[in-house]
Amino acid sequence: MTVSGLVLTLENDVRTRARALDALALDSRITCGEAHGLRLPVVVETASLAEGETLCESLRNLDGVAFVDVVSIDFSDDVSNPGAA
Amino acid sequence: MDRRDFIRNSAMGAATVAASRLALGKEGLAHAEPVAADGITWNKAPCRFCGTGCHVQVGVKGGKVVSIQGDQKAEVNKGLLCVKGYHVGLALYGKDRLTKPMLRKNGKLEPISWDEAIEVIAKRVMKNPAGFAIYGSGQWTIPEGYAANKIIKAGIGNNQIDPNARLCMASAVTGFLSTYGVDEPAGCYDDLDKADVIILWGNNPAEMHPVLFSRIVDRRSKGEKVTLIDIGTRRTRTSGFCEHVLTMKPHGDLAIALGIMHLLVESGTYDKGFVEKYCNFRQRVDPPTLDGKAMTFDEYKAALKEYTPEKVEKLSGVAAKDIRMLAELFGKKDLKITSLWCMGMNQHTRGTAINDLVHGVHLLSGHFGKPGDAPTSLTGQPSACGTAREVGTLVHALPGGLLVAKDEHRKEAEALWNLPAGRINAKPGYHTVEMWKRFSTPKAKGGDIDTIWVQVTNPAQSMPNRNALIDPSRKDPDKFLIVSDVYPTQTAMMADLLLPSALWVEKNGMFGNSERRTQQWFKQVDPPGEARDDCWQLIAVSHKLMELGHAGMKDKDGKWLFHTEKDGKEVQIWDWKHYYDINVDERLFDEYRKFSRFKHKDLAPYQEYVKARGLRWPVVQQKDGSWRETRFRFSKFDDPYATKADIQFYHSVTKDDRALIWFHPHENPPEMPDAEYPMWLCTGRVIEHWHTGSLTMRIPQLHAAMPQAYVEMHRDDAKALGVQNGEVVVIESRRGSVEVPVWIDGRGSPPPGSLFVPFFDETILINRVTLEAHDPLSKQPDYKKCAVRVKKRPPKVAAAAGKG
Repeated sequence: MTVSGLVLTLENDVRTRARALDALALDSRITCGEAHGLRLPVVVETASLAEGETLCESLRNLDGVAFVDVVSIDFSDDVSNPGAA
Repeated sequence: MDRRDFIRNSAMGAATVAASRLALGKEGLAHAEPVAADGITWNKAPCRFCGTGCHVQVGVKGGKVVSIQGDQKAEVNKGLLCVKGYHVGLALYGKDRLTKPMLRKNGKLEPISWDEAIEVIAKRVMKNPAGFAIYGSGQWTIPEGYAANKIIKAGIGNNQIDPNARLCMASAVTGFLSTYGVDEPAGCYDDLDKADVIILWGNNPAEMHPVLFSRIVDRRSKGEKVTLIDIGTRRTRTSGFCEHVLTMKPHGDLAIALGIMHLLVESGTYDKGFVEKYCNFRQRVDPPTLDGKAMTFDEYKAALKEYTPEKVEKLSGVAAKDIRMLAELFGKKDLKITSLWCMGMNQHTRGTAINDLVHGVHLLSGHFGKPGDAPTSLTGQPSACGTAREVGTLVHALPGGLLVAKDEHRKEAEALWNLPAGRINAKPGYHTVEMWKRFSTPKAKGGDIDTIWVQVTNPAQSMPNRNALIDPSRKDPDKFLIVSDVYPTQTAMMADLLLPSALWVEKNGMFGNSERRTQQWFKQVDPPGEARDDCWQLIAVSHKLMELGHAGMKDKDGKWLFHTEKDGKEVQIWDWKHYYDINVDERLFDEYRKFSRFKHKDLAPYQEYVKARGLRWPVVQQKDGSWRETRFRFSKFDDPYATKADIQFYHSVTKDDRALIWFHPHENPPEMPDAEYPMWLCTGRVIEHWHTGSLTMRIPQLHAAMPQAYVEMHRDDAKALGVQNGEVVVIESRRGSVEVPVWIDGRGSPPPGSLFVPFFDETILINRVTLEAHDPLSKQPDYKKCAVRVKKRPPKVAAAAGKG
């Protein structure tokens, strides 16, 4: 398992932003924090770094999300078990 | 709370603080740094990759780096990281780390002991000290570079030390020196938060300096207006964010800058008051020098006269209306304009000239010295500034901006190093291209460099025209190549002696980033196997040389150059068992910082950097004993050394506190497309990989994201050649060839007649094709333009049949 902390910058438009929040809520790998304006902190938990990378990419492409900034990444499981990477 | 909850809560805390900072420009209520718990210990370190200088928090557990967070306290990145940065910890754990010293015997690398390895190097030096050279990089830590420089300049005395920074920012250095009389940018990253207009001169920060670029673009999401202008030879990922994308012909940048200057002067919109108070005019002489020849304003105006927008359009390919648009922007005093550049302007056979001209546009228009108004070069390596430029690991330099050719500078250095008078050689060594050329030339034909020790770089992949500059040495039994590295790179696998090195947080270190910020970190994990610090390797060789009787390894009192005491007793830092009995970095840095006073690049004591996330020099002690960094050099409101006027260029070439505005004519590059080689080739980097990819290609996620190099080709050229996406073509120049798959409408889009190939992939060595032609002053080669032809790869079956 890997855990990453991200900041999503949401679009200004209310409707697309709401759609993005709905999509995030449906994904059990994502936990949303308290938004600061358009900035939403989220935690992403995935089985591997590779899956985390793919999920980040899909968030970048999600309608209603303007930017994705990665703040932290924990890869202790990948390092302990290099085969997992 | 279980471990999972702890990690999740830490990640959410970090993300919340970052979100708060991004939204409000300040820290929120959440904790600002990782909490030491769950067996993970956290410590700061600058990122190992580019010259931006982001800080990370490194989480260590069980002797391994297990987690990386953007450092919330770091002003540079404010808690954020790019794709390379958040994978940086994994750079330590590639499966093929070098773990034992190895000596080539009968053509094969065989393990030997460290004692044997150190002795092999020392004996090789003793055999011919004049033919020994060290080739390092902007990835050397500051103490490593300082140790290497001291061994060569104070000890061996041949000045044969140069860094790969010669290949990446030497033209920026000569541009700063010839304009201001002293190296490195006056401004800093704060300019990016204030500028109304940012002009990217051959620069692709969305991929090369992504954290800085997101800092710029992020301003838009706060409702701020910032206009981005991209001037380059191809559309890049950056172009998509820019209001204006001006695609120019290779070398067109000189004409564009001259066109802006011409319009500013003709229209009278230049800043007359600024120019009269703070500037002189200069023109080049032949052969070129850094101080050139004085010219009057009227002569300068006359020289610019021919660079009308229409003529500039012909020379550069950029429309006359766009040249007018640029000049109008520079003519507006109420705007703040920052120029950024990196390899596009530096890897250029007229690199010094274009650097001078861009500084000149800012000086002429008065867009200088206020937050947001700055000409700022960016660097590609984490310590190109801190080590290569400031420590002076260049063949002509001494620490702190001193020069070997100047009598008074040698005397100062001899005094600080306690050397006998006359020890330091006044003759510069061979710059990078010349050093490798001589290493690849037989001794009988003038190849007087016979041993090169490479540390922290991979020249077999990064040097231009590898077939001529690298490969011949490997067939010459007189030539001996020593390589210290962490992975079996192209260069490592050619070595006669291969030394395993510690990497990043496996050792203490200090870097200096693009905005004059000096950073420090402590060792956090052990290196694998027998890998050891590069700095220790240098010190051990120095001690062995002294043991073998090399007189240069002692100072004038007969003490070893690296003599170190603790509590009145000598510490045997040459012996690995005792290397960490004392903080060698602290001892070397505090010795080195005495040099920083000469050019007002003042550094604080080592311990000040332990407390900070870097400090920008000059760092000057205040009356209360605290140390204050400087954001805006030469500006009285911030720089303590600017005291006489609002702007004071206190190291002015002309000794009158004025900067120089240069005139350099537009000229064509030395090699241009012709009937035989009809296309331009440009090389460069991609966001996923750092330079030759020796670290990032070993990080599975980055490798998977960009597994192989490619050639970007315009759709029309691909159609004319009859090739599809992914099809392999052969690119040939007068120097060599390479096979590479085609990417049409890829990440970047070159115009018809131009190709782009990144250099990160060791299986596709584009530097067999590139040209070693270099700038006459900076000696920096031009990787951005040479003439090539491209053809479909012949079917392998047919080739085999033909042979049969």
